[in-house]
Amino acid sequence: MIPTTWFLILGAILFSIGVCGVLTRRNGITIFMSIELMVNAVNLTFLAYARQFNQLHGLIFVFFIMAIAAAEAAVGLAIFISLFHHRETIDVDEANLMHW
Amino acid sequence: MFEYLVFFVFAAMAIIFALVVILHRNPVVGALSLVVSFFSLAVMYVLLEAPFLAALQVIVYAGAIMVLFLFVIMLLNLQHRHEPSTRPVQQFLGYTGAAAFLITIVYYIGKYAVYTMPAGPFHADARSIGLALFQAYVFPFEMVSILLLAAIVGALLLSGRAIGHRTGIGTETTEEPAGKAEVSR
Repeated sequence: MIPTTWFLILGAILFSIGVCGVLTRRNGITIFMSIELMVNAVNLTFLAYARQFNQLHGLIFVFFIMAIAAAEAAVGLAIFISLFHHRETIDVDEANLMHW
Repeated sequence: MFEYLVFFVFAAMAIIFALVVILHRNPVVGALSLVVSFFSLAVMYVLLEAPFLAALQVIVYAGAIMVLFLFVIMLLNLQHRHEPSTRPVQQFLGYTGAAAFLITIVYYIGKYAVYTMPAGPFHADARSIGLALFQAYVFPFEMVSILLLAAIVGALLLSGRAIGHRTGIGTETTEEPAGKAEVSR
């Protein structure tokens, strides 16, 4: 039986990699993939705690997070397609349509 | 012992391919590395005695969502586009900030979240998840289905309008889809 703490540390490492990707990249798709990485790290933490405390609620949360990540991916990628058709780029620094 | 070996091999795979995602310049390589990373996480879910969610992880994440990412990358032809690197101060702050966050959270996990009590037998098969979903969580379940419907409509509206605008078909009637959306609300 692998200790729960190891899974928590793996989740923390993956989450930090995702944070690093969001902060240092300009490509919108890569930033989006880093966000998916962070979501998965949180899923792993939820499952580790669900097993530790023998609760089913953590699993249900992971199920809902997966559904919401699918919706988020669909809408986010549609926004990037729309941005690309307006600006010919997906560099997030160029996405300043709402800048005053 | 075999369990520990599987854990370390797939944990290393998940971390290495996650690093490839944020360090590689080509988004296609990044998306495929993310698929491998998600697959390693599915192995972690099996080790956590949740095989149903491992199957969902492979089908939904590695299957559906990453195919959507790859499709958009190839539709916009992004793999040949050179990405300018960010400002050095932003790079420095990003890396140090993420490292500081990692050190802090690992410190607090080691300090407070060490469980000497081993986890008990955990029954997380598809039957118990389905029963919980349709008894205690039936209202959030239905709300998620409505959310997915709204996401489909929103994605169609966003991407469809942009294409009409670009080809000049919908230049006079750019307001029309928005008007339709108002009516359908």
